[in-house]
Amino acid sequence: MTNRERALNLLHFKPVDRLPAVHFGYWPELLVEWAEQGKIPAELSRGWGDGNDKDMELDKLIGWDYNWSHVHGPVMGLFPAFEKTVLEVLPDGTQRVQNSSGLIERMHPGVVSIPQEDDYLLKDREAFETLYKPKMQFSADRIDTEYWKKYNEEVYDKLDVPLGISLGSVLGDIRNMVSVIGMSYLMYDEDEDLFADIIDTYAEMQYRCVEAVLEAGARFDFGHFWEDICFNSGPLLSPAVFEELCARHYKRRCDLLRKYGIDLISLDCDGVTEKLQQTWLDNGVNILFPIEVGTWGDQFEPARNRFGTRQLGVGAMDKTALRKDKAAVDAELERIRRMVSLGGFIPCPDHRLMPGTKFELVQYYADEIKKIRP
Amino acid sequence: MSVFEEISEKLQRGKAKDVAALVTAALEAGEKPEAVLNEGLIAGMNIVGEKFKKAEVFVPEVLVAARAMNAGLKVLQPALKSAGVKPVGKAVICTVKGDMHDIGKNLVKMMIEGQGIECIDLGVDVDPEKVVNAVKESGAELVCLSALLTTTMTAQRDVIEALKEAGIRDQVKVMVGGAPVTQQYADEIGADCYTLDAASAAQAARSFFAA
Repeated sequence: MTNRERALNLLHFKPVDRLPAVHFGYWPELLVEWAEQGKIPAELSRGWGDGNDKDMELDKLIGWDYNWSHVHGPVMGLFPAFEKTVLEVLPDGTQRVQNSSGLIERMHPGVVSIPQEDDYLLKDREAFETLYKPKMQFSADRIDTEYWKKYNEEVYDKLDVPLGISLGSVLGDIRNMVSVIGMSYLMYDEDEDLFADIIDTYAEMQYRCVEAVLEAGARFDFGHFWEDICFNSGPLLSPAVFEELCARHYKRRCDLLRKYGIDLISLDCDGVTEKLQQTWLDNGVNILFPIEVGTWGDQFEPARNRFGTRQLGVGAMDKTALRKDKAAVDAELERIRRMVSLGGFIPCPDHRLMPGTKFELVQYYADEIKKIRP
Repeated sequence: MSVFEEISEKLQRGKAKDVAALVTAALEAGEKPEAVLNEGLIAGMNIVGEKFKKAEVFVPEVLVAARAMNAGLKVLQPALKSAGVKPVGKAVICTVKGDMHDIGKNLVKMMIEGQGIECIDLGVDVDPEKVVNAVKESGAELVCLSALLTTTMTAQRDVIEALKEAGIRDQVKVMVGGAPVTQQYADEIGADCYTLDAASAAQAARSFFAA
C-alpha cells in the first residue's frame, strides 16, 4: 500500500495494512540541537520547511513516512508583502522589526521561534484602504503558471505522500497582521464594518487563488487551512462573531474543493478548539489538526463523540512523551491504539517537536507506530 | 440606571469614550472618586471577568473592556490622588526567562488592574534577579509569573528560589499561570497560587490584598 492510499483509506474508514508514521515538523532549535549531538548532518539543521527536500531527507533518516503539513499553493498572503525593516535596535540587542505582514515585533537575541508582538499598522480604515487592500487583491502574478503546468507530473505523481492544497486562512493571517490585541480592537472599532471588510476582501482573494490552481488541473488529496486562533481557554474570539463573519468563507472554499472531488479538508489550529469545531464542520472542514493534547489538554474523542464519524482527525499524539522515555512513548502508543480503533483518525505528534526531544525516542516511535495494524 | 451602573454597562461593552465621559460627568456631579472606581469601573470589570470564566464572553471582549477601564482610570486618576485613595495593592508581573509570550500575561495584568491593583509590568524573558529587584524597589506584595512553554515553566521555580535567596519570599505571594502550568506543578515549586484563567487570577489577587 502506498502512503497516499493508506492516508486516504484511514480517513475514509477503509482498511489499511498498517498505520503510517506521520509528523508535523520541528522547532528550528531542535534540529540545531540534534546536529550538535551528531544525530543529523549539520546541513539538515538549516533551511527546514514543511514538505521541502530537507524535511523529506529527515523523514528517511528518522523513519517517518511523511509530514501531514505537506501542502502546495499559490501566493495567498499580502502581495507584495511588506518589506521586512529593522526600525530600531535596543541596548540589549533586541530589534524592533516591521515584518512582512506589517506587524511590528521585538526580536530578542538568540531566540529564533517566537517574536514578541509590539505594534501594528492596520489600525483603521485609512490604513486598510491605502496600505493593505491593494496587497489583498487577486492577480495573475500570484499563480506561477509554469509551476502548476508541471506540478502533477513532477510533484504529485512523483511523491508517495498525501498532498494538500493550501486553502489559506480566514482569520489567522489577519491576526498575524494586527496581533491578538489589535484584532480584538478592530472587532470593536467605531467603524463597525471595518473588520468584516478586511475578512471579506482577504477571503475573496484567497478563494480566487484556490480556484485558479484547481482550474489549472493540479491534483491534491486534501485541502488545508491554517488558523491558530485558539488558546488554553478556548477561541480568541466569540464563536458567534466567528460564525457570523467567517463561516461562509470556509463553506465557499470547501464547496469548491468538493466540486473537484476533494472531500478531506483539514484545519491547523492550536489551542482548545472545541467552541469553533461546530462552525468548521458545518461548513465543510472535517479534519481537526493537530489536536494539542500535551500543551493544552485537547482531545480527539470528545469531538468524535459529539459529531460522529463526520469528524475526522490527524494528530493528538502527546509530543512531550518524546522528551521523556520509552515507557512514556509506550503509554502514548497504547492510547493511540484506542483512538485509531474509532476510525477516521491518523495519529501524529500534536505539534512541532521541540528542543529536548530525544532523537532515539522519535525513531522508536516512528518504528513502533508502523507496527500497529488497525 | 445610576451613573455607576451606566459606567459598568459601557465598560462591559468596551465603549472607552463613553466610559471616560461618564466618569467625568460623575466627578462633576460630586460623586466620590473611590465610589466611581469601585462601584463603576471595578464592578464592570468584575462582571466581565465572571462572564469570561463562564465562556459567555471571550478575549476580545475582555481586552476592549480593559481598554475602556483604562480610559476611565485616566480621567479618574488625578481625582483619586487628590482624595488620597491608594491602590488596593501592588503586584509585579512578567513572563519568565526564555519565554516571549505576553498575551496571557497582558490579559492577567489588565484584569488585575481592573481590581484596582497597581501592576509593575517587567515584560517578557525576565531574569529572576530583575523580579527580586522590582519587588524590593516597589514593595510589591504579589508576584505573578507567566510561562507558555513546557521548556520555560521551570523558570517560575527559579524566580521563587531567587526570592528565597534574597530573603523576601515571605513578603510576597507568588501566583503562577500559563498553558502548561497546573496546580500540581504550582504546589511542587512552592507557589502560593495557580489559576486557570485571567479572571480567576484577578479574583485571587484581590483576595490576597483583602486578607
